[in-house]
Amino acid sequence: MAPVATVIDWVIIALALGSTLVGSYVGYQAYRGYRRHDSRTMQALSMGLFFLTAVAFSIAFVGSLLLREGYLGLQYQQPLTLVTRLFQFFGVLLIAYSLHSRG
Amino acid sequence: MSEDPALGELLDILSDEYAREILAATSIKPMSAQELADECEMSKPTVYRRVERLQGHGLLEEQTKIRTRNNHYSVYTATLSEVSIELDTGSFEAAVTRTDESFPGERESDTADRFKKMWEDL
Repeated sequence: MAPVATVIDWVIIALALGSTLVGSYVGYQAYRGYRRHDSRTMQALSMGLFFLTAVAFSIAFVGSLLLREGYLGLQYQQPLTLVTRLFQFFGVLLIAYSLHSRG
Repeated sequence: MSEDPALGELLDILSDEYAREILAATSIKPMSAQELADECEMSKPTVYRRVERLQGHGLLEEQTKIRTRNNHYSVYTATLSEVSIELDTGSFEAAVTRTDESFPGERESDTADRFKKMWEDL
């Protein structure tokens, strides 16, 4: 019987992974919409979704693994969080931009 | 190398001369099955068969007209506006443009097309 904290850790990872997969799926459909119609709006939306989900999560996930295994010093924790947040912010910016772009 | 099975079916129905005549006629004004049979010179069973297939692909819309004598009959309107086929890196992508949808992308069979219309219409 694993300790509760470990189980919760796994649930957190699974949820984050699930969000990434679903977000990537939506991003992929947006990307197809862009390819099929050559639509800049959909291009911005798909990039925004990828940054917000796949990219941000991957950086956070890989970063936390490296930190935990000791490949990265703890002084890198803050910069990693900063980069993750930057991608998330850039992602929502792109989505907002796509709402108002035409063509 | 797979392609959307709907594309084959779409090309199949559009290659049918009767189906195209029905679409052409109903793109001018809504018509009943009887009117189509007269106009396009085909039997009513032929009309009904084509109408059913066209409806299945969302290329034709059925509206029910109510007569005063309490019986109804259906008229059909073409909803197809444009078909474009794109060949890109190993696969065909068909995009069907339809007219007057009650919400954007409603009749699109492809998620990406529906998504684009919904999103761009916000």
